[in-house]
Amino acid sequence: MTEFAAQTKKFQKELNSGTSSLVLLSVLSRSKEPLYGYQIAKMLEESGPDIPMMKQGTLYPVLRSLEENGLLESIVEPSVSGPPRRYYKITSEGRTTLEEWLEIWKQTKKFVDAILKG
Amino acid sequence: MFNTIEEYLDALKIEMKDADAALVQDAQADAREHLSTALSVAREAKPEISEADALKKIIEGYGTPEETASAYQEVERRTSPVIVQTVKPRSLLGRFFGVYVDPRAWGALLYMLIAFVTGIFYFTWAVTGVSLSISLLIFIFGFPLALLFLLSVRGLALLEGRLVEALLGVRMPRRPLFSHQGMKFFDRLKTLLTDKATWLMLVYMLLQLVLGTVYFVLIVTVLSLSLSFIAIPFLQEYSQQGAMTLNNNMRYFFPVWSYPLWAGGGFLLWTIFMNIARGIGQLHGRMAKALLVSE
Repeated sequence: MTEFAAQTKKFQKELNSGTSSLVLLSVLSRSKEPLYGYQIAKMLEESGPDIPMMKQGTLYPVLRSLEENGLLESIVEPSVSGPPRRYYKITSEGRTTLEEWLEIWKQTKKFVDAILKG
Repeated sequence: MFNTIEEYLDALKIEMKDADAALVQDAQADAREHLSTALSVAREAKPEISEADALKKIIEGYGTPEETASAYQEVERRTSPVIVQTVKPRSLLGRFFGVYVDPRAWGALLYMLIAFVTGIFYFTWAVTGVSLSISLLIFIFGFPLALLFLLSVRGLALLEGRLVEALLGVRMPRRPLFSHQGMKFFDRLKTLLTDKATWLMLVYMLLQLVLGTVYFVLIVTVLSLSLSFIAIPFLQEYSQQGAMTLNNNMRYFFPVWSYPLWAGGGFLLWTIFMNIARGIGQLHGRMAKALLVSE
């Protein structure tokens, strides 16, 4: 049972590692203003399915790597209470990349669906 | 399971004990930002909720320390370092002359030049800040001044870290080290003063003047020596005079057969120095990591 659960968890994790970048880019491309991590996590929680797909803590390292690759940019602003917050914004390079990724996602989805239907 | 955010952060630190210290610091900053925001939101909705109860739910969404740690390590593995280190098995000679295409060597050279300027600034800032802070502590406004100065030291340490990572290719923190929030003014000053990290950063700032000067002198000396060796054949042929002046105002004309030796020697000297500079850069990166990154 635990073996089985671990396999399922691993599968979910591997899927997430590919899709989370796409999801984050898309959320930020739709937002008019820069968002910080907690806001993004809340938005995903509200629009997502009942079962949480990914842990919120895993979003932060992905945001950071997207920034390092030039797809996002960020500024740190002090908050009224608590530590300073990092606000993320999509770059123009990020937008063009998102378009390409969306195309790949559509192809992948079509392919997997077609196979699963048999 | 976790009664305070600090407990979670400590658990995360333990979970990431094998990870790079800079990565740990980044992960801590992110977790602190998220958890404290979520906690204040939860408290607004339900003021009577205890911190432990609220955190239990928040961490369910955020992920256990174990899950968070593995997420950071996973992404770090996929993220290319700033300066890609090409490790190709090459012959000793190839490695020696390959220094010219090694970005780490050029980065180290540039860093050694810049360190001269930043070193002077850090030293001035540290000495002025420390002496002003201490002497003005007899007045009440000395305390905010001391706090501001200590915070500026942290800011400069982060900046220096970015410089070290960009030029020397050593992974350094990308987020500021956050001092505990929600504290009273004096407590905050006390925490900063008793934090080992603050003092290590100050030591680094003082040390940087000496190192920066040594680096600069080294570069200028070796560069001018190598260039003048290489220039000897051209100088003699162009001016038709000996390149070396002797004691009795006579000029010594180096024989033509020695030209390749001079030019080659100058080139060799610079190549040796590039190799040394690369090593110095790596050493300096390690020192910066030890002094500027808190474990």
